[in-house]
Amino acid sequence: MALPAETDIDSLRRAAIDRSVKGPVLFLFTNGAFWLMASTIVGVLSAVKHVFPNFLDESWLWFLQYGRLQPAHLTALVYGWGIQAGLGVALWIMARRTGQELKSGHATLITAGVFWNIAVTLGILGILFGGSTSIEWLEMPKYIWPVLLICFLAFAWPMVGMFARARRPEGFMISAWYMLGACLWFPWIFITANVCLHCLPGLGALGAGISAWYVHALILLFFVPVGIGSAYYFIPKVTGQPIASYQLAKLGFWLLAALGGWSGMQRYMGGPLPAWMPAVGAATGVLMLIPVGVVAWNHHLTTLGKHSHVQTSPSLRFTFIGALFYPVSAVMFALLSTFWTGAHLQFTHAWYGFQIVTIYGFFSMCLFGAIYYIVPRLAGCEWLSVRLIRNHFWFSVYGIGTIVVTSLICGLQQGSDINDPEKWNLGFSNVVENMRPYIVARAVAWGLITWSNIWFLIHLMLMVAGLGRRSAAPTLLPDYDHEDPMQNLTHPSNA
Amino acid sequence: MSDFRKLVLRIGLLFGLPWLLLIVIPVLKYQQLKPVAYDKDKDGMDGFYPPANIHRQGQLVYAREGCVQCHSQMIRATNLGLDAWRKGWGQEQADRAPDPVRSNTLRDYLGEPIAFLGIQRTGPDLANAGWRFADRMKVHQSLYAPRSVHEWSTMPSFKHLYVVRVAQGPKSSKALDLPGKFKPDDGYEVVPTAEAEALVDYILSLKKDYPVPGTAPAVAAAKK
Repeated sequence: MALPAETDIDSLRRAAIDRSVKGPVLFLFTNGAFWLMASTIVGVLSAVKHVFPNFLDESWLWFLQYGRLQPAHLTALVYGWGIQAGLGVALWIMARRTGQELKSGHATLITAGVFWNIAVTLGILGILFGGSTSIEWLEMPKYIWPVLLICFLAFAWPMVGMFARARRPEGFMISAWYMLGACLWFPWIFITANVCLHCLPGLGALGAGISAWYVHALILLFFVPVGIGSAYYFIPKVTGQPIASYQLAKLGFWLLAALGGWSGMQRYMGGPLPAWMPAVGAATGVLMLIPVGVVAWNHHLTTLGKHSHVQTSPSLRFTFIGALFYPVSAVMFALLSTFWTGAHLQFTHAWYGFQIVTIYGFFSMCLFGAIYYIVPRLAGCEWLSVRLIRNHFWFSVYGIGTIVVTSLICGLQQGSDINDPEKWNLGFSNVVENMRPYIVARAVAWGLITWSNIWFLIHLMLMVAGLGRRSAAPTLLPDYDHEDPMQNLTHPSNA
Repeated sequence: MSDFRKLVLRIGLLFGLPWLLLIVIPVLKYQQLKPVAYDKDKDGMDGFYPPANIHRQGQLVYAREGCVQCHSQMIRATNLGLDAWRKGWGQEQADRAPDPVRSNTLRDYLGEPIAFLGIQRTGPDLANAGWRFADRMKVHQSLYAPRSVHEWSTMPSFKHLYVVRVAQGPKSSKALDLPGKFKPDDGYEVVPTAEAEALVDYILSLKKDYPVPGTAPAVAAAKK
């Protein structure tokens, strides 16, 4: 009877690990989901104000102007949702993958989480009420960043410690590598950018270059690793197949680590920066296609033959779509980076489309997949409603798809309007007028996503409150292609 | 050395290289960047390039209102875009200028805490906006009632930087001259606050096309 005993010990250890990180992880998820909803609501408003500036233009609503709403929208998305929920997923995966319990410091982590949320709240109120620095993604007033940094370090420190004490150092732990990378890169990037832009005397145009570098480095070295790390954990987990190729996995990681820091300055190609800086960034933007292709191919090989699970498992379905959006975002990145197409897409809505496809289409979808897997194990109950999960999935996918496609086409249109020699004397009327339909579509798309997020937040809060389904069977989505006799058992609304 | 240390070291080295070469060294070198004096014989003018500091008070208002979300401050070189030939983006306002507007250099933004090169172009570039407006009242009008200038504009109205007050005595010299439906009610006038004045000062100070010492436009300007 050696075998059952061993699996018992294994599941007991897993349960102990889950219990040890329960508080902080659920705290981060719930607050993150709240910020996500806030961000999408502001996104709707911001898009509407971008086309109809007279909407809600009462004089006492002076703080609701596009120039303030747009940074508030992205700040809530990046710091409120992205980094916060990313830390939660990273903490859980790191603990599980290294086989380490979170021994102590629960109160510290919760406190850090509380202060992170206070800082983001103050930062966004600061942006709205006149403290914006107008530095992309660092619009929050100057005094916010040290608080965010300390809170991040409070989470990163135990994670790095778990990795160092890993129980299975001989095992290959690609997802833990990515999480470790994210823990190390973020503070480094964040300190560099903030010290350069807030503490040093004026850096002029170089400062603008550094702010562009910060945005790209944060995407490539925080959002991308956490998203891929999560996909590398959950795709094998749900399909039950090992990662197809360890060599490809390693290659993808090291190429990302080597390229991630070079990118960003191509945002100001043709501008005042020394020419080699945008050139290096542009080259990186194209070279990034290699690690992205490697990772995407590896994920594809791992999923191969198990695509039916994409139908039934909510975790895999979200992760699968996230992993699909990853190469899409890389192609958009390459298009924005090369001087050939980048000159057309520079300073257009294609940039916004890239940010959204990366943070939402790729990163957040992977994270939703992770959350659908993790929360039942921590909360001790199963997701309540298949319908809510499907609602969340389809509204998100259509919403993001709309934003990405319209932003890219809008970018092409805007770029050709700005660069068309025939229209040299039109002022900006053609640019402004041709842009309208795309931004209206964006407002509608954010509306769809808001709808999905409201339900996601409610569903998540019910789970965290322990009001989920008491059942040993996980909540699976009905499989229309392969009629499943178990369907009625796992799908209470059909019963 | 343990696997963990090796991993951390490799990650550190791989990121440390671009960090050092792309950020740290350029930042240190930037500190040595100083204005250059014009050569009276070659350039035909005195003084320094860039000639003036920016209007920081106004730039703070510019940052606070998030103007950078829609307006860039960067003329791209002619191989990358039409910027240099667009109407009114340089000194020449009426017609196509004989020469393209020059693209910007690192020194154009000397002394600015951070250059607002821009996120998007929903509105025109402002690098040389100082040449574009006939007088400051035109800037005030664009800020207070953008759609009184261009009916198609989607620029927000920055009404909160202005005060609508009861007109007493003779009309204030600062009162905005607004057309048609944008006019305040009878007996009222719209006057700018100090913040609006600072923002306008800043916008009018944006003339980032002064001749670069030793380059062709500077020499050509000297010959005229």
